[in-house]
Amino acid sequence: MTSNNILQLSQMLANDLDAIVQGVRPSLAVVRNHHGAGAGIVAASDGLILTNLHVLGRHMPSVLLADGGEYAGQLFARDPEIDLALLKIPATGLEAISFAAEKDVRIGELAFALGHPWGQRGYLTSGIISALGTAKTDGNRGFIPIIRTDVPLAPGNSGGPLVNAVGELLGINTMIVGGDQSVAVPAWIAREFIGQAARQSRPAHHWNARQDYYAANPGLL
Amino acid sequence: MSTNVLVDLSNALAEAAAKAGASTVLVNARQRIPASGIAILADQILTADHTIEREEDITVILPDGVQVSARLAGRDPGSDLAILRLEKPLATPAEPVEAEPRVGQMVLAVGRPTSAGIQASLGVISAIAGPVHTGSGGVLERYIRTDTTPFPGFSGGPLVDSSGRVVGLNTSGFGWGASVTIPADLAWKTAETLASHGHIRRGYLGIRSQAVEIPAASQKALGRSHPTGLLLVGVESDSPAGNAGLMVGDILVGIAGHAVLDHDQLMAYLTGSVVGQPTPIEVLRGGQPATLSVTVGER
Repeated sequence: MTSNNILQLSQMLANDLDAIVQGVRPSLAVVRNHHGAGAGIVAASDGLILTNLHVLGRHMPSVLLADGGEYAGQLFARDPEIDLALLKIPATGLEAISFAAEKDVRIGELAFALGHPWGQRGYLTSGIISALGTAKTDGNRGFIPIIRTDVPLAPGNSGGPLVNAVGELLGINTMIVGGDQSVAVPAWIAREFIGQAARQSRPAHHWNARQDYYAANPGLL
Repeated sequence: MSTNVLVDLSNALAEAAAKAGASTVLVNARQRIPASGIAILADQILTADHTIEREEDITVILPDGVQVSARLAGRDPGSDLAILRLEKPLATPAEPVEAEPRVGQMVLAVGRPTSAGIQASLGVISAIAGPVHTGSGGVLERYIRTDTTPFPGFSGGPLVDSSGRVVGLNTSGFGWGASVTIPADLAWKTAETLASHGHIRRGYLGIRSQAVEIPAASQKALGRSHPTGLLLVGVESDSPAGNAGLMVGDILVGIAGHAVLDHDQLMAYLTGSVVGQPTPIEVLRGGQPATLSVTVGER
């Protein structure tokens, strides 16, 4: 391979990496609680923000979007068993992240995390899909499928997106095991969580806000 | 080939992992988490010796989920390698790389510690080093360090290149911190010896030695640049060295045609084919080179 081809290849690689960052950044949010911050992603253009439940504190979090807008986040839905939460912010016309169409991820596939590790905003780290496993839970499901990667994560990545080589959502980065093995909740589980949020029979915080929202956006059900 | 290089790379890595997975098995030979193994023949699995904690009831799970009984056919703690022979020749042998591995090469560490499927971690070859003492009486001639993440149960599994061919066997058994990779050519060679003899024959001379600098004049007498050698400070009577006439004060500088500069090198050459054989040992005696024939014993 000539050095010209190699230069071209590395330029193409750089372009593709940049495309991921540019594609995902508009949907990447900072979710700030009273003692720190994690990440979140825009799940719907009308102001639904998906994040980890453990990122939220006891008080209303604030959500900082990529365009600099800062909003108070209302708790819309929560599922402790899968450590996910949906926040509603009074913003519209937001760019939502695309979910990967394929439910199946392959071992070895490239994976990228965007988040705010140690407070570094919009930080990109990379690795591969290392393993598909299950985690035991204390809830009704009993266990859930998880994605394990060797993508370096740190505090501040929680709630942020794990994406594939074209920037589609594969999972929500949730935790680190043993210091170097990263765990993500699969995107299709997050999608089901978002869809089922309106069907929660237990009355929850801001019930009315949620009912009105789903009436206006039937596609999400 | 799409115009997205990342997608192509991603696909290539997924395929390399799948190809490696076809010859990576799960090895159940200890109480706790299973280890991985590499099929080198349809009925032979190469794995890390330190993961074999029992000699009975060893089972192997193949990529398709089939469980096969296996027996320990040979082991060598010094190189942390062991060979298992499968009851049925059902494994798909791995393909080792042909070219020399190089620093910077992209690699995948692959393992099968659960029956749920393979696992993989991405990295590059960070260093190729050696020879080094392994602390179990062995010398690892050459080893590879990578920045892959060694997940639990990865020992015994393969390090593969981006085409899925085996660069070496990963192990954390030397206790040097992160996982280390035994190059495929060394691993396969050891596998052959283990499969036929059950263990690695390690040579024995019967000497105690100390590394010393060799003065310029003596190097000149040797006819080559040879900065250090092994000064014999003890020769056991009725030992291979004693019987051949080696004496305290001799400086050992070569064995079987190989120059020896330190103890690790001597250990590396005191294995395999020289054991039991009359072997030329080159020394400096009184500043002058001399060669004695020693019938190497077995440790």
